[in-house]
Amino acid sequence: MNLTNVRLILARELRDQLRDRRTLFMIFVLPVLLYPLLGVAYFQMVQFQTQKPMNVLVIGGGELASSPTPLIENDGFSPRLFADGELGAELLKLDLVADLSPSHGATPTLQEQQAEASRLVQLKTYDAAVVFPPDFAKQVEAYRRAILDDAGASGSRRAKRAETPIAEIPRPKIIYTTANERSQIAFARLNMVLDHWTEEVGKKNLIAGGISTQAVHPFEVDSSDLAEKTSLRGANLWSRILPILLLLWAMTGAFYPAVDLCAGEKERGTLETLLSSPAERSEIVVGKLLTVMVFSMLTAALNLISVGTTGTLIFHHLEGVGGPPLLSIVWLAAASIPVSALFSALCIALASFARSTREGQYYLMPLLMISLPLAMMPMSPGVELNLGNSLIPISGIVLLLKTLLEGSYLQALQYLPVVLAVTLAACWLAVRWAVEQFNSESVLFREGERFSVGMWVRQLMRDRRATPSAAQATVCGIVILMVSFIFRSSIAAPDGFNGFARVTVTLQLMSIALPALLMASILTSSPRRTLLLRLPHWPMIPAAAVLAVGLHPFIMAATAGIERLYPISSEMKHLLDGMESMFASANAWYLILALAVVPAICEEIAFRGFILSGFRGMGNNWRAIVLSAVFFGVTHGFLQQSINACLLGIVLGYLAVQSSSLLPGIVFHLLHNTLTVASTWITPAVFDRYPSLGMLMRPVDGNGPAFLWPVYFFGGLISLLVLYWLVRFPQAGNAREARGNALEQTAIAPSPAAVECYVSCGLD
Amino acid sequence: MIHVQGLTKHYADLRRGRFVALDGLSLHALPGQVYGLLGPNGAGKTTALRILSTVLKPSEGTAVVNGYDVVRQPSDVRRQIGFMSANTAIYDRMTAWEMVEYFGRLHGIQPGDLKQRMEALFQRLKMNDIRDVLGAKMSTGMRQKVSIARTIVHDPPVLIFDEATAGLDVLVARALLNTVAELRDQGKCIIFSTHIMREAEKLCDRVAIMHRGQILAEGTVDELRAHYEENDLEEIFFQLISHHDDLLAPVAVQDLV
Repeated sequence: MNLTNVRLILARELRDQLRDRRTLFMIFVLPVLLYPLLGVAYFQMVQFQTQKPMNVLVIGGGELASSPTPLIENDGFSPRLFADGELGAELLKLDLVADLSPSHGATPTLQEQQAEASRLVQLKTYDAAVVFPPDFAKQVEAYRRAILDDAGASGSRRAKRAETPIAEIPRPKIIYTTANERSQIAFARLNMVLDHWTEEVGKKNLIAGGISTQAVHPFEVDSSDLAEKTSLRGANLWSRILPILLLLWAMTGAFYPAVDLCAGEKERGTLETLLSSPAERSEIVVGKLLTVMVFSMLTAALNLISVGTTGTLIFHHLEGVGGPPLLSIVWLAAASIPVSALFSALCIALASFARSTREGQYYLMPLLMISLPLAMMPMSPGVELNLGNSLIPISGIVLLLKTLLEGSYLQALQYLPVVLAVTLAACWLAVRWAVEQFNSESVLFREGERFSVGMWVRQLMRDRRATPSAAQATVCGIVILMVSFIFRSSIAAPDGFNGFARVTVTLQLMSIALPALLMASILTSSPRRTLLLRLPHWPMIPAAAVLAVGLHPFIMAATAGIERLYPISSEMKHLLDGMESMFASANAWYLILALAVVPAICEEIAFRGFILSGFRGMGNNWRAIVLSAVFFGVTHGFLQQSINACLLGIVLGYLAVQSSSLLPGIVFHLLHNTLTVASTWITPAVFDRYPSLGMLMRPVDGNGPAFLWPVYFFGGLISLLVLYWLVRFPQAGNAREARGNALEQTAIAPSPAAVECYVSCGLD
Repeated sequence: MIHVQGLTKHYADLRRGRFVALDGLSLHALPGQVYGLLGPNGAGKTTALRILSTVLKPSEGTAVVNGYDVVRQPSDVRRQIGFMSANTAIYDRMTAWEMVEYFGRLHGIQPGDLKQRMEALFQRLKMNDIRDVLGAKMSTGMRQKVSIARTIVHDPPVLIFDEATAGLDVLVARALLNTVAELRDQGKCIIFSTHIMREAEKLCDRVAIMHRGQILAEGTVDELRAHYEENDLEEIFFQLISHHDDLLAPVAVQDLV
């Protein structure tokens, strides 16, 4: 790479962007103005914000005005029941009625009153209603008198009285609807008032019974918030705001320049000028990437400075909050480099795909949809920086920043290398993607074309290739995901093994195998080649079987490790335990058929058949293996299982590529699933019955058996030998096939006339 | 200087599916010669020239530019050529001087040498009055001058002009053709694509008439006139295109009876 060219491109692009008014507005003007204006707007809105009174229907509460602890005063609730007195009372406008007479004129029952009140709340005539049972006030008073009588009685009579409780007072009922926001507010206010009133009535009763009101709350609990006395309270607040802002603005700051530098250049016709210059594509990408990074970092920095300054001004009067800690500037500045690099590379890759700036702007939304959940996840309560979370791109760096801003430096330092490694790896992948986009003619010279479904279908039929394209493989993966999701969501949970087996087999056949088989027969001219339906070199079969057995202890260990990194929720654990106990009572052969044989065939057809063949068309086997493994992983039910399946998918994909057949993968998959199912049968009772098992494994509570080191040693040795043989396996046929697929799709072939021309030009 | 053998390029789109944009194109252009590529829109001229400038890769075939292969040595090829087309625009937010300087530096010319060259070039192309004008403020003629300056600032031995006069008024087009003729006289090897026959007649030493990705006829203008017994190049062009289309047209049912 020629660094002079990179520097030249960087300097030009920087100058170009600095001469663009839109960029200047986004980067310099918007952040400086936005937050102070938002602060002013907030203060203005607070001044104008008033609470609106709610209309409440009160049925049968009139008598409560004259009770010893009156609920009603002057046609409203008593102001003493509100924390803010009169002001609070005015927010509930009462319509006091004795009863709501139905049309026939007879005295309405309580149920009829409640039904009528419900109708009026549904019709929004009232925001909520309270229905007191008939003679409610009298019964409350009777209750109090009964307590008074007891207080005056002798000790033996009182003890006897306590054994027979006083008749229960019928309950008043609040009628509201959560479908209406006003009704919910009215309910909250009513609930609070009635709670206070009930408490007052209770106190009166205690006094009547000669017991101190303190008896209910014999003591108070004091608390001391250390954060109030230090700056930690502020740090906690800012640690939730600043990392998200950094991410959002680093992304926004990268996006618009990236669109201008890639899609904009295409639109203006200057990209071809640059491509025909001596600068290499990689130099162009790096030059543009550095430019976008500079603007991404600038945008993030200016926004953070502006929000920090505005926040300091707004929060300075709140004790212990104030502005962001000074040290946060250092952490945010350090984090902005990898964050900006990541988003800049992603934005460049996305923007280079767009034909115009307008089209480019549409791609912001998918980027936001993927990045935002990852950025917001660390803000959920209870989520903290640990090994599992630090392995998640974006989330890891947000958590690290949050931890640093909270002042937990030791914890942050512990996971810093992991977060850094993951972020740099993500950056590297994104940069590679961006360079590839710039090397792809179909991306750089994509022309606008009228799209119609009819034309698209005709093209699919007309240009059928022997194997599917990468796009068709992606569609197949998405179809499988969607059909599986709909299938799983729409069926009721099976209650026995037979139902479970039926559901599993149907899911495998209909959601996984069928889409792949249909797409292979409709979209390709050679379904047999696509699905690798051929016999492999025979030693591949035992090799796959030996590999499945040899790797099994490691896969089990990986499963346990993944569950330690990302612990399974108690609900999921409960569900899995239920399934295990269901399997324990099932017929072993049926269990293996449902959980090993059928998945091994169906999943191999879909993931190592159609999807892997499609991705292999891109010309890079490892990329195809990883992509098919990702789809294989995502199709599995929950995260822990998905990670495990993804790793397994890589081994299965490698077997399929090396053998050019689906059969070794099916054998491996079948044996792996069988061994996993069998491990659930090995309970402590089995160890008691077969003590020799103790030489290979030991029981572990709740997690099946754990293998001992000799098993790992021999399993690892055998696996390494098989893998060594697989790597060295003569694969001329495979290489030829991969190249053939790639050529068929990219159409770059060596020229038959090349030699003649080279000779005439004096070239080798 | 430019040797092209069996150059083929496939594309795919929804309407046509996989189609051949260039179908085994072969040509040889020499120094001190303007080689004209004539053809209607969609003939494959731009595809061929994009391959020669290494912007696109061929599906099959070989192209060697000044001794360098376009697939194996694309960077070396780009150092040997100046490429200008109707699609190679100039930057809106750069002045004429900055733009030419930028491409000169990308071609590895040292700042001192570059300044001297640029002074001479701006003088020769009468561009001194637009030195500090931003691209966005320039007229089409000014932009074309900047494009020419950008194309030849590194004094390449091979020049590729793809429909360079498209959309220009007569005066600017004439100036551009004069510049091309001057460059030819300096010994440059020039490929010049156009669909304007008069330009080809005046400027090109050899012409190739292209249609549907193939060369239908090739030679000097006089050779073509003699071979087709027709003085008007445009008429020769029409005859060749019509004849080729007739050959490719599906045979009508009544013709079979």
